[in-house]
Amino acid sequence: MSDRSTRVLLIEDNPGDADLIRLRLVESSSPVDVSCARRLSEGLESISQMRPSVVLLDLNLPDSQGAETFRKVLAKAPDVPVVILSGQDDEALAIKALHQGAQDYLVKGAFGRGELDRAMRHAMERQALLRSLDMSRKQQLEFKNRFLSHVSHELRTPLTCIHQFVTILLDGLAGEINPEQREHLNTVFRSVNQLGAMVRDLLEASRAESGKIRIERRCVSISDLMHAAVGMMQAIADDKGVGLEMSVDGDIPYVHGDPDRILEVLINLIDNGIKFTPENGKVTVQAARVQADPDFVFVSVVDTGCGISPESRSLIFERLYQESGAIDDGRKGLGLGLYISKELVDLHGGQLWVASEPGQGSTFSFTLPLYQLEKLLAPVITSEGRLRSNLMLIRVDLRPNAQPPRATWKEVCRECLELLSHCVQPDRDLVLPPMAAAGAEQSFFIAASTDAAGAEVMAARIREQMEKMPELAASGTANASAFPVSIAEVDSSSPLSQKVQAVAARMSTMMRNSSTVAARHK
Amino acid sequence: MQQKILIVDDDPDIRQALKLRLRANHFDTVHAVDGYSAIAQAYKEHPDLIILDLGLPAGDGYVVLDRLQRDDRLSNIPVVVLTARDPQSSELRAVRAGAAAFFQKPADNVELLAVIRATLPRVPQPVPLPS
Repeated sequence: MSDRSTRVLLIEDNPGDADLIRLRLVESSSPVDVSCARRLSEGLESISQMRPSVVLLDLNLPDSQGAETFRKVLAKAPDVPVVILSGQDDEALAIKALHQGAQDYLVKGAFGRGELDRAMRHAMERQALLRSLDMSRKQQLEFKNRFLSHVSHELRTPLTCIHQFVTILLDGLAGEINPEQREHLNTVFRSVNQLGAMVRDLLEASRAESGKIRIERRCVSISDLMHAAVGMMQAIADDKGVGLEMSVDGDIPYVHGDPDRILEVLINLIDNGIKFTPENGKVTVQAARVQADPDFVFVSVVDTGCGISPESRSLIFERLYQESGAIDDGRKGLGLGLYISKELVDLHGGQLWVASEPGQGSTFSFTLPLYQLEKLLAPVITSEGRLRSNLMLIRVDLRPNAQPPRATWKEVCRECLELLSHCVQPDRDLVLPPMAAAGAEQSFFIAASTDAAGAEVMAARIREQMEKMPELAASGTANASAFPVSIAEVDSSSPLSQKVQAVAARMSTMMRNSSTVAARHK
Repeated sequence: MQQKILIVDDDPDIRQALKLRLRANHFDTVHAVDGYSAIAQAYKEHPDLIILDLGLPAGDGYVVLDRLQRDDRLSNIPVVVLTARDPQSSELRAVRAGAAAFFQKPADNVELLAVIRATLPRVPQPVPLPS
């Protein structure tokens, strides 16, 4: 097979049609290699083996009919141009395939050699053009992200300088300053902090766009995060004379999410609320469960501000959109906050939306999935829909000897989790999301479908792997121990969901009773 | 005796600002402007702690960390990294290379000083000169 010849894959079940087309192809002016398939399954196999330059596809085959046939070919080889071979009575089907991405169609029995040649050539040309367009789009995006990350890096040095010298002046390290000078310097200080936040948002938004934001899911108390966010924003609200309150349902369950990212969303929404609410107004943060959606927690930030017009409501989550009317010193942000928040909530599998009327205030709400052990336990259920007969809970404790910064421990915990996920069998065992904020003295849990002996082997392997981690070798230790989860006590006649619930409840108790976790949850 | 901090940064204004801030907090300071002079200064001045930028001419911050780690006379000097670089891509690498702490610029002074104080060895240990 020469490199320059066109490799044609003909998928056609009618032998008469197939022979005719093959004849036309052989007569063709340019060199052609033809392979034939009579069934879609054969055709799909040939696609992966011969990597055709173009596919000629009959839509009605013994093992697949109509639009479905093209969809399957497209799924298998999105980059290969496809020309549909249609009968005279099903042209409509071929046209539908064009809309879905087929490059051309020919009506069988109604085309000559030249038309077949031309259709194939144009199909390949157009596909190549599409590919290069797609490539340049990707390059552009890549360039933009690199540019943004470069700019935000370069901006940090002068920013640091201003920050440093302003604080030197404010702290009186260069001599006494009078009250008026202090006021001016405080203005500079506020502005430089604002600039710093913008630089951070720039980088974050470009990361969101290129899918590079990482979230580290844990078992998180949403009310703790709301307390933290309200605590951090209280001073700003007080400054503006805006009330800041929170209300949480007493029995709000834990959510499954990244605490730092959720805090970021809360702060962003509260900050917006304060910005658009006049003096003596109020911003309220609420969390509740809703009957209609029992797997999620609803969090809302309600303000009594100027509200959002219906036209703006669909725009505010766009990048760089800026709403006018902030009750502020007229200063705007970059218009990235809501965009980033929405991306972060999306990454958690939740939704973020707004309800508002002009003059009536706004309510920004988002949902976060609950931390539900029984939902996570799928790998310990067999394909026959039964609980596995053996189940062990393996606990891995990290203990630092030194005290490195918090952010570093977050990274170490992330690496540990990744390492643990390599130590387990994907469809039988499960690395459970951590129960506490990332920090020193972290405990991880694995639900393993094995017996006591198997769990000991697994624990030993984990210990050995952990010892290879440079951070732990340098400044900490890891210990892994296994505990049986008794399934025998679960009533064997009850339905599977109840059994899983009972096991999940037992595991939760065991995890919470573990001393480190209990200490961290205080 | 005042404890001595080596400031390594290629930006003169940032060196100056750090010097003022540290001296006001009763530290003695010396400085270096690139990777090469950072190592030379570490041998010559036996600092109690090093504040290190990562983006440096003549051997970047990682090279400096590596050199410090390799020499028993220098490996016990704690290093606080202070850089404009993104922690997501740099922090773990810096800590693995031997940094005791990592700050992204602009860093909060109170936090930076607290970490410096916590990281400094209790009893200053003189570093012998290279033979």
